[in-house]
Amino acid sequence: MVLLGLRNLFRAKTRLAVAVLLLALPAFLLLVLQAILTAVETHTETLKRNVDNSLQLRARGSMGHVNMQGNETILPQSALDTAIRIPGVAAVEQYLLAMTPTEGHNFAMIVGVNPGETRRLESHGEAGNPRIVAGRDLTAADRGQRVAVIGQGVARWARITSDNLASATLTLDLKRTHPVIFALERPPATLRIVGVYASGYVFGDMQLFVPIDTFREIYGVPEGISWLFVRAVSADRLPEVEAALRRELGEAADIIAPIAAAEFERTTTRAVRRFSAIGSALAAALMVIVVFFVTLINVRERTREIGTLMALGASGAGVAASFLAEALALAALGATAGAAVFAVAGSLVPGQLFGVAVSPFLPAQYKDALRGALAPAAGLGPSGAGWFLLATAFAACAGSAWGLRQVVKLSPVEAIRHE
Amino acid sequence: MSDRAPGNSQAPLVLLEQITKIYRKDTQEVRALDGIDLRIESPGMVAVVGPSGSGKSSLLHVIGAMDRPTGGEIVVAGRRLAALGNAELTAFRRNTVGFVFQTFNLIPNLTALENVALPMEFNGVDKRERRRRALALLDRVGLAPRATHRPGELSGGEQQRVAITRALANDPPLVLADEPTGNLDSTTGQLIYELLEEIARGRTVIVVTHAEPLAQRAKRVIHIQDGRLVS
Repeated sequence: MVLLGLRNLFRAKTRLAVAVLLLALPAFLLLVLQAILTAVETHTETLKRNVDNSLQLRARGSMGHVNMQGNETILPQSALDTAIRIPGVAAVEQYLLAMTPTEGHNFAMIVGVNPGETRRLESHGEAGNPRIVAGRDLTAADRGQRVAVIGQGVARWARITSDNLASATLTLDLKRTHPVIFALERPPATLRIVGVYASGYVFGDMQLFVPIDTFREIYGVPEGISWLFVRAVSADRLPEVEAALRRELGEAADIIAPIAAAEFERTTTRAVRRFSAIGSALAAALMVIVVFFVTLINVRERTREIGTLMALGASGAGVAASFLAEALALAALGATAGAAVFAVAGSLVPGQLFGVAVSPFLPAQYKDALRGALAPAAGLGPSGAGWFLLATAFAACAGSAWGLRQVVKLSPVEAIRHE
Repeated sequence: MSDRAPGNSQAPLVLLEQITKIYRKDTQEVRALDGIDLRIESPGMVAVVGPSGSGKSSLLHVIGAMDRPTGGEIVVAGRRLAALGNAELTAFRRNTVGFVFQTFNLIPNLTALENVALPMEFNGVDKRERRRRALALLDRVGLAPRATHRPGELSGGEQQRVAITRALANDPPLVLADEPTGNLDSTTGQLIYELLEEIARGRTVIVVTHAEPLAQRAKRVIHIQDGRLVS
């Protein structure tokens, strides 16, 4: 009977063509929505993984710069040990910061880091890692050495180029002042410049990274931390880690929780999920409606034939199975046609649809990033493809259910007498 | 209650006792069969004749388990039909009865061969055997060369011969034909009469007909009027 159902699919070819086209449209929409959802979820996961699972701790009410007016208070060194013991913490990174006046720009930032750790740009941690454009980065061998990597803004100010980099030095005068910088009674320190980085923005380029123990020696800070970055093992563990840090260090530290990933997920990902769910439901409903009408027309047209089959010894369930097979095959053809269009236009439409239908509902700051994330990610993940197949099968079953019920309820004599 | 009628070597193939069939349409009640008593032995051809609306087709449908009577007892091939559930009635139709319809009722997108093989498929016969038996049956009515033709490519007479062949597919003891020549010209009808006559040599064929020549070939003619047997 299943085979008979599959053959019946091709009896009314014009109707089949129209039905396949009508099914292809919602199927295509389903795929597009799944692609958007996949792209947004991938983007969310990337954010969670790469950017935003670190908390920043500073001494309470202070910027933590060792020579900045009113902001010179730093965290006690014990904060590091406390933080690292908290469950869910993957790593901690300590920074020491100071400022030095410059010409042209107001000041440059001196940052003490452990070589090999993340070189965060002051106030713009989310801007990513600066890129070395000349020379080299700091290494473990530089610990305790008077060496530095500078931003290209500092390099311009100090007239250091790639040509003179091999012999370039820069002397920090700790007694120089500025309206927000106070003098430190410390000897000047000459640093050998081993590399120049570019950060992509002006202030980010006005920083100078030195090994943290070198910083301690130069600025006379044997212990203490300006900024402590605490990275959770995953963005999901962040709330737990944040709560523990507030409990353990809340008295001494301001804790700046990253909100980008959480905020992104709370606003954008959720909005896209909702949009995708509603859109997918509507698309699936459209498929159900098409299958519903086609099955109903088929049952009405073939009622007499159903009676004949029953007279020949087919059961109502068997006949219904043939109609179900026909509905499934019809939905599969529609889905295949939709998938074929998606394969051709799939890389273009999600971005367009996203721009027209989704982005008006999203926070402005995420729109461009997401549009970029969507462009190369028009494909479907395995779960997206699985949902698509499931939706197609569901549409076939739900759409044909009423027609199948009519078949099962039909008595042979009613069917055979049907005009 | 058992669906087997009490054992009797003289048991008829078809036994109807006080069969009534009432159709209700809105508040109107139509008594299609009204206390029919009938006993048909095997084999041979039995013609059921009567005016339109007299209950001929209703009688055929009740005997063929296409419809359940409103009252009375019906036993066919030793099975009490009232005691059978829907699944058993389906199996009964598959194995015990072959139907021939006035409008042939062939499945339009299947070939003649596939149409004939269909009841065997419902009966679980394997594909090769179905094909062999269907071809042999088509050959018997001279349609083996037309085996791969679809109904739309066959004449009315050929379609009815395919339909008769299909009715014989599972070798049932009883064939029920409802106006089998009603849609055919007299020459073609003559061929169908001969075919049914031949078939009736080995089994019981009950034919509902308006055609006097066909009724004359029957070994027994049953007259029905207003749902009652009149002779």
